Amino acid sequence: MAQLPYVEPEDADAVTAQIYNSAEQRFQMVLNIFKITGHAPEMAEKMWQIFFDILQDGQVDWPTKELLILKSTKMGDCLYCVTQHEVVAERLGVSPEKQADIVGVEYRHSPHYTEAERAILDLTSHVVLDPEQIPSDVWARVHEHYDDGQIVEIVATIGAYLQVSKFGDALGVELEAVFHGHQPVLFAKEPPSSKAAQQHFEHFLANTPSA
Amino acid sequence: MPATATVEQPTPDVEATFELARNHFGHVPNLVRVLASNPTMCASVTAFFAQALRDGRVDWAFKELVILKTLRAIKAYYSYGAHERLAIDLGNSAERVGDLANSLWRTSPHYTDAERAVFALVEQIGIDANAVGDDVWDELKRHWDAGQLIELNALITTFVMIGRTGDALGVADPNLFSRSVS
Repeated sequence: MAQLPYVEPEDADAVTAQIYNSAEQRFQMVLNIFKITGHAPEMAEKMWQIFFDILQDGQVDWPTKELLILKSTKMGDCLYCVTQHEVVAERLGVSPEKQADIVGVEYRHSPHYTEAERAILDLTSHVVLDPEQIPSDVWARVHEHYDDGQIVEIVATIGAYLQVSKFGDALGVELEAVFHGHQPVLFAKEPPSSKAAQQHFEHFLANTPSA
Repeated sequence: MPATATVEQPTPDVEATFELARNHFGHVPNLVRVLASNPTMCASVTAFFAQALRDGRVDWAFKELVILKTLRAIKAYYSYGAHERLAIDLGNSAERVGDLANSLWRTSPHYTDAERAVFALVEQIGIDANAVGDDVWDELKRHWDAGQLIELNALITTFVMIGRTGDALGVADPNLFSRSVS
């Protein structure tokens, strides 16, 4: 059970209903994490606009942003985000084999990754672990492949997904039933690091038929 | 030195965002100028940032303490000094700012039980958001309604984003507000 009730579409005010409509158009469903924000529509409206902006081709293409999302939310032990974005990434053409190599530093040697992707995944680790001290050689490699507008989009995407993953996890927002049959990729390769996240994952596996 | 350019002359597609920033902050903060290399992200991140920094369902003075506690909890200090001054300008005592440190807030007489419940949430999000216990939420729900709790949780996690984004991009904002806030 999440810590606060979900605001269902029939109970939503005008602002929230507009957010739900946009979410449904973009993602074919209103996810639980949208529904829990219906208690504060004025915050929800501003918060979700960031994600509507990220989840499309921008100055950085959408599949590349999915790599950043998977990396940052995996490091944050967010089962809710990782599971949903494994599904999104595969729909966008990121194979499960490529996804699996995002854990740890596997991507540095994986044939599925370009030098540009390796640079921004290294950057992601630094933004998650210690944004105050990002080594200059990491920045030099990122600048080789991306311009300033793209770098802003890359860092904002990482930051936004740290935001939403902690927002949802703190509230105990539950994965929707539609994801229950999904065969996990990232957490199957490297289990969650925290005990609480490990319990969430075991509960999820108990709901997942074996392949 | 920021990792990317600081936009001094706005292109037409960021002019509206700069205008929003000037109206809200009194000037265009450096974070907004650095984000401006990407007009789309600049617009949505600035709008969320500005929405957080005002009276809402929770008053702004307390929200500044929550922001300071969050930046400490995640060890990202973009604009920490600016938020310390804002907290004071909005009416917090020096004790209320200083006692946020470490675990002093748990015993300090300068906070209410309602405020302490929020700091407990911030600390736990900093350690592991997956492990926020029912005890933390039960205490929060005794003092705050659902709308306030969404605002507070959004505020905390917004500064997870703003702190990390500002730090990663190497932005310094010695002052966020040049207009009067009191």
